[in-house]
Amino acid sequence: MAGDRRVAIVGMGGSFPGGNYLDQFRQKLFAGESLIRDWDEAKAHGKNIRSQICGFITEAEMDIEAIYSTISPNYPETFIDHLGRIPDANLSTADVGSIWAMLGTQEAIKQAGWSKEETESEQTGVVMGSGSAGHSILRNAWHNFFELKQKTRLAGSHTVDRTMVYREAANVACFIKNKGVVEAIGSACATGLGNVGYAYRLIKFGIQDRIVAGGVEPTSLETFIGFDAMQVLSKGFSAGESSRPFDEDRNGFVCSFGCGIVALEEYESAKARGAKILAVIDDYYNNSDGDGNMFFPSFDGQKRLWKGLFGDKPFKADVVKVHGTSTPVGDAVELLSVVDIMGEEGYHISAPKSQFGHTLGAAGAVELISAVMMLEEQKVLPCLNSVNLDTELADYQQEQDWTGPKKSLAAYRHLISPDVISKEINTIVCLNYGFGGTNSAMTISRDI
Amino acid sequence: MERQEIIAGLVEILKTVRTIDQSRLDNVTEETDFIKDLKTPSTEMINIAAKAEQKFDVEFDDDDIDDLGSKVKDIVDLIIKSKEA
Repeated sequence: MAGDRRVAIVGMGGSFPGGNYLDQFRQKLFAGESLIRDWDEAKAHGKNIRSQICGFITEAEMDIEAIYSTISPNYPETFIDHLGRIPDANLSTADVGSIWAMLGTQEAIKQAGWSKEETESEQTGVVMGSGSAGHSILRNAWHNFFELKQKTRLAGSHTVDRTMVYREAANVACFIKNKGVVEAIGSACATGLGNVGYAYRLIKFGIQDRIVAGGVEPTSLETFIGFDAMQVLSKGFSAGESSRPFDEDRNGFVCSFGCGIVALEEYESAKARGAKILAVIDDYYNNSDGDGNMFFPSFDGQKRLWKGLFGDKPFKADVVKVHGTSTPVGDAVELLSVVDIMGEEGYHISAPKSQFGHTLGAAGAVELISAVMMLEEQKVLPCLNSVNLDTELADYQQEQDWTGPKKSLAAYRHLISPDVISKEINTIVCLNYGFGGTNSAMTISRDI
Repeated sequence: MERQEIIAGLVEILKTVRTIDQSRLDNVTEETDFIKDLKTPSTEMINIAAKAEQKFDVEFDDDDIDDLGSKVKDIVDLIIKSKEA
């Protein structure tokens, strides 16, 4: 019956902060390492940039190399794939993020074990997006036209395909030649989970049987400086100590970049062909705060999110993978809403941004992959640098109309571990939010 | 500038266009067709024209680029015409 189909995660891939492929990413996460580094590209701008740390990925780390134009200085006209994974024709229409998306898709489909016929089917879709534009390509085109007063053709014929909103999905579709849905969902920092959630619904309701889905945020100084200008990035800590969700000294998030891709498949068909089920997606729900505030998180919006996710079922999870950005306001509201719904015992909170920063449009997908890894490893990833939690109540907790928990964050210390914890994990709730008041939540479980 | 010299310069440009099959560049003549013979994606033609403008220090009229044929001799003719303009 339509709407009753279950959905399995059968493959994963991507490019991860710190310049890591999937296996390196897993190894470093569970070793409790930080993937955040000093960023020379930001440091080169001296005092004009406030934050100079980042979970960036270089081209060389993904075994690709930019080929610069002979007529337009500093313009990456195309790329070379040193490992021969992507044909030149596909590389010529891609920005760095689209290349990461193609590589991640290739890896995820390989793990899924989809045949060529299945991959190229009308029942196979591509649903992925990013939080920003193809800045590194636009930078050159706009500079040439507006500042240097050059003809438009000096920017070349690939400014559109390399920068359009759904460029990753388009490039992946041309790469794998699927004949089903090709779309991108955009919801700021909830983009990654939003795309996977939309893909889940397409399979659940019988519109597609298989989808590669995810989120991407290509390394871009333009993206970085936008947030830097808002003064919302972490400042004053060494790279490894800069992302510190829930810690009382947190003062902003770490801007990072990456790409997470998952291969989703209708559960029964995946089981029937003997695919390894990495996780089952139980539910997905998303909503809007509805309070007219672009930036400030909403306690009520997040509570409605949970209620929409679980419906009439009891609120139950072994781990809550929070958005946990390391911002003063966001972390507090989120922790209080989680405790209000889930209570004070019986689960752990994981904030993987403490290890690799905030990958923006990729965050929901990259962190979903980290959650799947927690299911596989039966370990809770640590919340690095959460040394001392707030001992004071937030202002809004002291107002008369506050209906949430009336304890300070320090009362929930036992839910948040700075170290990796081994325990039985059957279900994880994944949470991500974005500017504009958009909230997304997904429940995933072990296939047992 | 001799036509053969221009063709040699065009081949140098084509060597920088990675979507062209590089093995087909050994025997480029005036009659070689960028699209039929070299399998150049049509979207790359404007990149080749822009690089030719720079290499041969000419500026093509937009109308001439719109009307440009797909054979090597067509762009050689346009370069010579633009040089004389």
